[in-house]
Amino acid sequence: MKLRIGSLGALAVALWILPYGLGSYSIHVVNIAVIYALLAIGMGLAMGVSGQINLAQVAFFGVGAYTLAILTTHSGYGFWAAAVLALLATTATGLLVGIPALRMQSHYLGIVTLGLALGFINWITNASISGGADGISGIPLPTLPGIDLSSEYLYYYLELVVCALGLGFGLFVVRTSLGRRLRAMRDDSLAAGAMGAEIPLLRMTAFVLAGLYGGLAGVLYAGLIRYVAPETFSIANMFILLAMVIIGGRRSLVGCVVGAVGLTLIREWLSDFSTYAQLGYGVVVVLMVVFAPTGLAGIPSRALEFVRRRGGRAVNRAELRPFQPYEPVTALESSSLDEPLLEIRSVTKDFRGLRALDDVSLTVAAGEIRGIVGPNGSGKTTLFNVISGFYRASSGKVRFAGRDTTTTRPYTLSLLGLARTFQNLRLFRQLTVRENILVALDRTRTHTVWQYALWQPGVIRRERRLRRQAQKLLERFGLTDFADAAPGSLPYGIQRRIEIARAMATQPRLLLLDEPAAGLNGEEVQQLADIVRSIRDRGTTVVLIEHNMGLVMSLCERVTVLSSGGVIAEGTPAEVVAAPAVIEAYLGDSAMADVPLPGPGPNPDPGPNPGSDPDPTSAPASKEATR
Amino acid sequence: MQETLQTLVGGLSLGAVYALVAMGFSLVYRTMGLVNFAHADIAMIGAYAASTFYLTSKLPFAVAMLVAIVVTGAIGLVIERVLRPLENKDFDLMLIGTIGFGIVLQAVAILIWGTTGRAVPSPVRAAPLDLFGVRVRTYDLLVMGVAALAVIGLAWFLARTKRGAAMQAVAMDHEAATAVGIDVGRSNALAFSIGAGLAALAGGLVGPMLYVDASLGGALGIKGFAAAMLGGFGSIPGAVVGGLAIGVLDSYAAGHFQGYSVLVTFLVFTVAIMIRPTGVFGERTVSRA
Repeated sequence: MKLRIGSLGALAVALWILPYGLGSYSIHVVNIAVIYALLAIGMGLAMGVSGQINLAQVAFFGVGAYTLAILTTHSGYGFWAAAVLALLATTATGLLVGIPALRMQSHYLGIVTLGLALGFINWITNASISGGADGISGIPLPTLPGIDLSSEYLYYYLELVVCALGLGFGLFVVRTSLGRRLRAMRDDSLAAGAMGAEIPLLRMTAFVLAGLYGGLAGVLYAGLIRYVAPETFSIANMFILLAMVIIGGRRSLVGCVVGAVGLTLIREWLSDFSTYAQLGYGVVVVLMVVFAPTGLAGIPSRALEFVRRRGGRAVNRAELRPFQPYEPVTALESSSLDEPLLEIRSVTKDFRGLRALDDVSLTVAAGEIRGIVGPNGSGKTTLFNVISGFYRASSGKVRFAGRDTTTTRPYTLSLLGLARTFQNLRLFRQLTVRENILVALDRTRTHTVWQYALWQPGVIRRERRLRRQAQKLLERFGLTDFADAAPGSLPYGIQRRIEIARAMATQPRLLLLDEPAAGLNGEEVQQLADIVRSIRDRGTTVVLIEHNMGLVMSLCERVTVLSSGGVIAEGTPAEVVAAPAVIEAYLGDSAMADVPLPGPGPNPDPGPNPGSDPDPTSAPASKEATR
Repeated sequence: MQETLQTLVGGLSLGAVYALVAMGFSLVYRTMGLVNFAHADIAMIGAYAASTFYLTSKLPFAVAMLVAIVVTGAIGLVIERVLRPLENKDFDLMLIGTIGFGIVLQAVAILIWGTTGRAVPSPVRAAPLDLFGVRVRTYDLLVMGVAALAVIGLAWFLARTKRGAAMQAVAMDHEAATAVGIDVGRSNALAFSIGAGLAALAGGLVGPMLYVDASLGGALGIKGFAAAMLGGFGSIPGAVVGGLAIGVLDSYAAGHFQGYSVLVTFLVFTVAIMIRPTGVFGERTVSRA
């Protein structure tokens, strides 16, 4: 830490005295480089951090520069007033360009944003207000009391301060609640939604951030050059900017800055051989993508990893510690719910003629552990997807916690107290285990991002609180040794437990477990059974899909059997096993034949506990869902 | 009325070229899940190569075109080979990798052919036809005819040949395709070079219609991509419909909004694609939880 502050200080001093060693042309180049650094930060926030392919960054840059130019030369605004309006304009542009991201992702988004950027270039080269191909000259000099900004040396300091603040703010965003959610969305938007992240708002936020940085760069550019023309905002420059971000490392804002500054300097240095330089960038981008996808910023950690693997002596003393049960909720308050916690009324789900669910009805009382079994392809996971809002039922109703949630989005359901795990593990792969938990713990709504602009201490305080809670939860689930590991590097059984811990971090009233025992060994299945019982005893109702019949028989009070999309039996495990319809559905499947009726636990059946009510204090209060 | 028809005819011939670009793009996307942003620049190289063999080497237009297709097919093979480690892994990285190749191809074009573009005379000297008062350039008819032949040829290849069927199998499930003994790498390489060849065909045909320079790819490519999206990603009939739609839209926008045609085209396109992200023939992909 001391070393870090020391090297930061040294860097600051070096940047401060840099102009003293530079000629007047060199400082101009450096000034341009700093502007590109700001642009690259915006690009990194949208692409690297949030996973939104944004090829309109030069358009944001252009909107900022042109708005300032037009307001100062045509409308007679002062530089700073125009600058504020220009920032507002780029933020609004960010919102507009972000709208398509609500409907499409990945390459679609790339093509649409590129198309919109082309449209913008087309407009500025033709419109009379933007001066056409000649551009706008005569932008007034920005004034600061006591500082003569016509000197490029002094302008450098202005840029340096803005860029440092911009980078600092960017890093603050990335490392706290908002950035964590953006990264979670990048890694797996479905799982992030199921953890309560409002995906549509987050996508817009990513574009607004990109726009803001683009606008800032545009304002500084207009103030520096005092002339704007279309060629600065060309698609070729867009691709150079992309090269900067990829070469520097799209996931690291510092990497983006290094890439931007480095490439601008190299471009200037090679300006006599610009075509060869272009050839060079292209080749380097291709090589980077194939051999070092995390860019320059990712090379140190990759090298470290390589050395460690070569060393072979990975002293891995990390172990999965035992689960510490929750305090059982004994004082049961009189049930405030007159109706069951979850009620599914004749739900049907069609996929293009294939009926995955056919008139399924199901009620789960609060405090129950419900098992859902059935042969493969009987519609179990589809049912979970309908309950958790990933699919919309073709007909029928779903009611959860006393309200109709048939058409409710996953993030709203999460805020209402529904959590789930996934059959084939959907952890956020680029986040650490701790961050995975933190994403789910964070129950604030996206609109609290205003704090980032106006009241940062609030963000920090919330962050501290969340980190304390995360530590507690990691301890409870015995995951402290893996807190800072990447989930993908851990054994399968541990990943399963992380998923349950992450789901429990949302303080759910209803937990849906999709094949939680798949791939676990006997001992781990036993631990799972203990965990699920403890979760129920703390007041969370559990519904699980499982093929491990031993587990279902010992754990569940009631079992529902699905076959070909319909419910064929429901009752206690013993009743269900004896039902003729079930035996028929499973005929040829030996699973039911040798069911060990009493489960592996010493106390296999704690008995139904229909009176237990979810702890009302732990149930998240949620405001009306926003769409 | 006459004016509208005239715009329509102009749009259709350019649309046929966009359809060819979109088709190559769709073929590569559907077989390997790769969005090839270098596709447009391959088309640009194709346009330059065809014009060079036609004008400088004095080869007949059709022969020049064939040579250009072979050249770009080879470029396609190189790109596919370099990006193969990323196939079926990281979608976004592959996309960026192809953008890198696009930058390289543009630089190469400038190094070989310089920054000044060239105008290619039409290979068909016949006078324009007059159909019910609408003037149709004979070259436009040739372009539409060649495009139609290419569509039929590609459809026949995919449906009726063993290699085409293998390509379809790889598109559906590359692991299962490996399991039944299809060399996925080779199949993808073939798909990529056919895609590149189609790009060259589009580039070569568009040469006499537009001005050939290093930025030709930008203009041709984005509209080709837009066409592929509008028709439905990965769908061959979609590419044709989307290409013609973008061509006609473009031609109307140029007629009515003059300089702002690009802006109008992309605004309309963005709205259309927001209303129906899967395009006309696109399949709705269900993201499984």
